[in-house]
Amino acid sequence: MSRQDISYAQLLETNNLIQNCGDETYWLCVTRTVQGSKLFPVSPYILLSYLNAFYRYPSLLRKIESQMRAEAIADRARNMGMKIQNSALGWALPNFYLLGRELLLSLGFLRPQDALEDVVYVMDFWKRYMLSWHRNDGHITNREYGHRAQILPDRRLEVFQSDIYSCESGDELHEAACTFLATASQYGFLVSCESRISLTNSGPYRLDERHQMIVRDFMDLAECSLPWLDGVAKDVPYNYLTVPVVARDCHFSLVDDWGSFESNPEFTADHVVGVGLYTSDALTEGFVPVGMGSREELSSTFRSLNAVMKEATNKLWLRIAEWTRDQMVDAGALVYYNIIKDLAHVAGVFEVDDWLTIDPRAERFRPLLNDEFSNEFLGALVGTLSLPNHRQSPYTMMQHSDRPTRTLTMLPYSVLAGDDYVATSGPIQPGTSHLAPKIDRYRTSAGVLTLEEFNRRARAHEPVLCSDKYRFLCETWVKYNHTTALANELYQLEQSQSRTLRGKGAKFIPPSA
Amino acid sequence: MTQLYVDSDRYGEPPASLLVETVRNAVTDLVRRKLAESGGSWSNFVFSASDRSITAEDFSAIETQILASGYRFAWSAVISARERPEIYRAVGALAADVASFSFEHPEAVVAPADESGREQRGIGDNVVRRPENVIGIARYVRSSEQVIAYMNQGVPANTIAVIDDSGGTLTAPILEHFTGIVCAGGTVRSHLGILAREYGIACLMGAKTSGIREGERIELETSAAAKTAEAYQTGQEMPARIWKLTR
Repeated sequence: MSRQDISYAQLLETNNLIQNCGDETYWLCVTRTVQGSKLFPVSPYILLSYLNAFYRYPSLLRKIESQMRAEAIADRARNMGMKIQNSALGWALPNFYLLGRELLLSLGFLRPQDALEDVVYVMDFWKRYMLSWHRNDGHITNREYGHRAQILPDRRLEVFQSDIYSCESGDELHEAACTFLATASQYGFLVSCESRISLTNSGPYRLDERHQMIVRDFMDLAECSLPWLDGVAKDVPYNYLTVPVVARDCHFSLVDDWGSFESNPEFTADHVVGVGLYTSDALTEGFVPVGMGSREELSSTFRSLNAVMKEATNKLWLRIAEWTRDQMVDAGALVYYNIIKDLAHVAGVFEVDDWLTIDPRAERFRPLLNDEFSNEFLGALVGTLSLPNHRQSPYTMMQHSDRPTRTLTMLPYSVLAGDDYVATSGPIQPGTSHLAPKIDRYRTSAGVLTLEEFNRRARAHEPVLCSDKYRFLCETWVKYNHTTALANELYQLEQSQSRTLRGKGAKFIPPSA
Repeated sequence: MTQLYVDSDRYGEPPASLLVETVRNAVTDLVRRKLAESGGSWSNFVFSASDRSITAEDFSAIETQILASGYRFAWSAVISARERPEIYRAVGALAADVASFSFEHPEAVVAPADESGREQRGIGDNVVRRPENVIGIARYVRSSEQVIAYMNQGVPANTIAVIDDSGGTLTAPILEHFTGIVCAGGTVRSHLGILAREYGIACLMGAKTSGIREGERIELETSAAAKTAEAYQTGQEMPARIWKLTR
């Protein structure tokens, strides 16, 4: 690759993005969780995933953008519940890459200016994606919005709110929905090898003084681009499910860039007073209702999904219980590293070798990754910030800690004065995996497809609402143009599968919950 | 001697962890040696020569060097110690010995039995405040074998699982059948805490207990306030008590 002219402005902006990522990573890791597992070697797989991300993300993001720009994929993401939300895009994409860089910096494998053009490109990709995905709330991250994610447009929220079925503790729908939410969460943790990356939440959205809506997404549920679901998840009929949940007397005070929430009081099932159910993927026109024809049908659908996910949980758990450590480390490293793989699915450029193998430059580190070293190194990398590269001038007071540390190393401006640097880590190299090969079956909204067919259809598909005619009809435009025929058309398209709003258009404003 | 860029760090201090420092020193020595052997510049080394010349065998040699000192690694996933017992410290009681096992936390808060026979054996962080305390039978769940046994035989009624895994995967197939959970690790935001909240199962995380044996009746103070994010951030304790019921 030929060397690009990197400007001062690009470096300034990239370093700002890096610093924001570093501050938030520290806060998330220190306050939001203590991750541990007796089943999975979690820290070893996390470190391996960071290395794989560092060596591969730049090439793979460029490959994705050769088909579809980051901001165009994010337009799709606003209209569906695929794994291109949080934590995948809000946090993991830049931070997995940057933490891999930091790991290598700490071991003397890199200088801060090495892979400089890769770093600038990855952060620019992320910025463009996030600005587009967050365009309705106008922020780059949930952090910037005070930990809130108001992603969806008014027209979609109207449909969610209007189509939701009300429920109360003790009734059939409430029982079925809440049981499903617990089962799907449990299944998600197992699918993702003890991480929360198959689950996400966005919102909250105000309905009235007592009610808020939160949108809960469950991803990678069926036979998909995770080979350990082959067979065990063949009866799971949807790969992505979205559940809008209305909560009463429960204020969601925080929705972070991991897609986790905090509420006051604590969110429990008795606060749930309304639910809906949708699916979506790279081949749909946005959110498609599932079992929403009647309250009874929705209850029955939740029960049916609960049964198949419970069955899949047991089968998957028994499969995992027989894995070797290398298989567990590979599965964890891959599900972490390929957390952004749905970008490639939407662009129609997903390839197994890209997303389901460990690059040899990362793989060589495996002998170092025993449990104790990995736990202590990961703790130093994201928690105590006690590696030499973290240490800053003694005058520094880091956000959240006041200590003279920095989570992520900035790019040096000295390259603009002639300091040498290496532009890129280079192309991905043929990788390996200890896991069973991926069977060529992918559950989609168009049925079970081969990868070639899935990619072909994804490349050919453009949801109408993402076409140039409607794509830029934003919330500001709607505010002042809602009486136009075009606005009516826009809303009617969104309402086309709504059980309550079909055909009503932009002039209809639903009553409060 | 060949110098690396990181060797001239103005502010850097050695890692806080001795193991991390040992490994880091060994790896940076390795990089220095390979750079010198390459005979080329750093720019030619960093993403080309080093990719080929620094290998898994080099990292295995570092592990061998550490083990030769007599050091053995602490394990966190059971599979790690089972596959390579020669490099990890002993696993200890998991499944077979639960009858004689108990968690013994040095900071467990204990107290003699009160007039109603409740003997405090520890504290934990409450995930969700409930109207009442929860009473059940303590049963340790620490291994895949135990989970499989419960999958086959069913989880006994009124089981309060006593677990040291704050993750949500080890007990995934049986979790919903627990009446309560006492977890010796993690926080209320750990995966197990999240799942307990979703399932509506009484749960105390980060529990510090002593002397709770398999099959004993215990009571969890789930009527205590749930521990908040602010409390974790400020270091404020919000303990919920755990009692052994002696009558």
